[in-house]
Amino acid sequence: MELNISKYTYINQLFASVNGKKLVVTGAPEKGKFLTALYRKLNVEYPKFFKMDTLSKLGFLASELIFENGKQRFIPREDGVIICFNRSSSLETDILFQSSLEPGNFFPSPSVFVYTLPNIVAGEIAIRNKFLGETSFYISEKFNPEQIFSAVDIAFQNNKTNFVLASWVESFELSCEVFMLLVEKKTGKDAIPFSIKCITELFNNEHLYG
Amino acid sequence: MQKDIFVTGMGIISATGINRQETLLALREARTGIAPLRYLDTVHTEFPVGEVKRSNEEMCRMLHIPETEILTRTSLMGMLAVREALEQASLHGKTGLRIALVSGTTVGGMDKSERHYLDYLENDTKNAYIAIHDCGACTEIIADYSGLFSITETISTACSSAANAIITGASLLQDGRTDVAIAGGCECITKFHLNGFNTLMILDRDPCKPFDEHRAGLNLGEGAGYLVLETGESVRKRNVKPLCRLSGYANTSDAFHQTASSPNGEGARLSMLKALEKAQLNPGEIDYINAHGTGTENNDLTEGIAIQRVFGEKTPPVSSTKSFTGHTTSAAGGVEAVISLLALQHNFIPVNLNFSTPMSELSFTPVTKKETFVPLSHVLSNSFGFGGNDTSLIFSKT
Amino acid sequence: MDELILNLKKEIIEVLNLEDVKPEDIIDDAPLFGEGLGLDSIDALELIVLMEKNYGIKLKDPAQGKEVFRSIRVMADYIQTNRTK
Repeated sequence: MELNISKYTYINQLFASVNGKKLVVTGAPEKGKFLTALYRKLNVEYPKFFKMDTLSKLGFLASELIFENGKQRFIPREDGVIICFNRSSSLETDILFQSSLEPGNFFPSPSVFVYTLPNIVAGEIAIRNKFLGETSFYISEKFNPEQIFSAVDIAFQNNKTNFVLASWVESFELSCEVFMLLVEKKTGKDAIPFSIKCITELFNNEHLYG
Repeated sequence: MQKDIFVTGMGIISATGINRQETLLALREARTGIAPLRYLDTVHTEFPVGEVKRSNEEMCRMLHIPETEILTRTSLMGMLAVREALEQASLHGKTGLRIALVSGTTVGGMDKSERHYLDYLENDTKNAYIAIHDCGACTEIIADYSGLFSITETISTACSSAANAIITGASLLQDGRTDVAIAGGCECITKFHLNGFNTLMILDRDPCKPFDEHRAGLNLGEGAGYLVLETGESVRKRNVKPLCRLSGYANTSDAFHQTASSPNGEGARLSMLKALEKAQLNPGEIDYINAHGTGTENNDLTEGIAIQRVFGEKTPPVSSTKSFTGHTTSAAGGVEAVISLLALQHNFIPVNLNFSTPMSELSFTPVTKKETFVPLSHVLSNSFGFGGNDTSLIFSKT
Repeated sequence: MDELILNLKKEIIEVLNLEDVKPEDIIDDAPLFGEGLGLDSIDALELIVLMEKNYGIKLKDPAQGKEVFRSIRVMADYIQTNRTK
């Protein structure tokens, strides 16, 4: 089966790019601040953004960049699959929640607890876009192009799958990045063949040299 | 071309028992494993829980590992259930096969981390536990124990993790990426998520009452459940006897809210429908539904509505065995898959404990009558997770 | 009372991360849930924590929240009567 990367995006706390082209975003190079600046730039009305943890903000923003101007969302559809990967699960938010369990200042927050599940980011993207298809979250040692390739390839085994949104989304300590691919059967005019080599190259271009 | 996926082994540990035999007995005798807190060190003793009735040290002894080994409770339970599953499937020593371990967990090593959290901040004495904190490490530890695995995958999709691990295992087999897959999940109770569920105000202070009008929340549980999955070709080659077939499976997104399910249970409806479609079965052919049935206001109502939307007036017998095990969170899909298979194999329907008043919104009530023999051909098991992650599995007799 | 209402609005904006909402945008008698602020069940639970943390009021049942959070004014009234700090 011919699979193509029809669009890809990368965001960290310094810059955002779509299909390898950097966006002009004026914002402070800090996790929260840069992501908020990017949200403002996108000009979408979605106040729930501010309730999300960094992991979900990254996933949400990347999916907005992918589907910007797209006609394929907001009406319930079952033919899309969302697969996320990372190393640190929801550890950043886990630590925040854990710190609210300390004796003397014991006020655990329900809205923080919700984000102690990594797959909430996939849920957020599904909620925003009304995607009713599969969602999954894999934890792995490091960015693993073979694993991403295999999971996406398998998702297309089901002949009802028309697109897969695959992302490496990580937020812990110094790392804060999302690399998201829209993989489709049909060929777009700028389509890139979906292969382990391409996943590796596109990621490295942004992650290492961006 | 879709291949048939067979189950050739299963392993379970939960509040109801430390193996298949104990679990089967407890289910048949309608004996719950939910009890006052005993093993977890917390002030929240007001909540009954479904704890595995073994200390970490006792589990180490069962596994013949030194009690001094740096291990987490989640991985200990995982090792025990995987070992039981592998034994039943006659997998040991040099097999010459590619064997995958696909494991679902969310809590990972949180039990140790929360205990040693202050040490991490202040000194290095407990740093060895940091290395085994994450969910991936948990899978690796289980894999290393048996040493049989060439592929390991860790899935974390909240309370549907283990069910999704089973789907992933099946997909790896479909795709020819492995010869055999051991799939399921493990999770221990921690203060971390006990407090978390408490902030969501969905913990019952009494034993949970799934599908009851006066249900007041869930009881947390813990455990592990794993299946050995393989293709027909592998079953023939290895000359093993399949226990049943994983005939249908589907995962869908409810796309409604981070934690609450949609009022009409759309995601749940779709996952059941798509699993039926995959199994090429009509709704009327399902003989038993092992429901997600957490006992919360929201889940049981929306799952009940979804069941009615799929099955119409002829709802098959439904029960939630969380009234035995508590909600084993990420392990639930694995634990309940094994329970569903025990039911299928031994032709009985586990009852839904603590039920007394029908829900006003639903036309069906869960199974409460103990019957010794109910012929079963196809059973469906639901597992739904936060993030709107809904999974249904169907097991069929071969 | 007016001061309590204003403080409460500020606290709610902060704790619920209502980034683009100003205190004057929250009308004293308008429903907190449903239309308007777009709050959900998790926000309601967060308000229960807020009442405990800032005013020493413990709600045992989320259903009670439905009553108390009908509007900012109802909430302020309830706090006025029941606060322990």
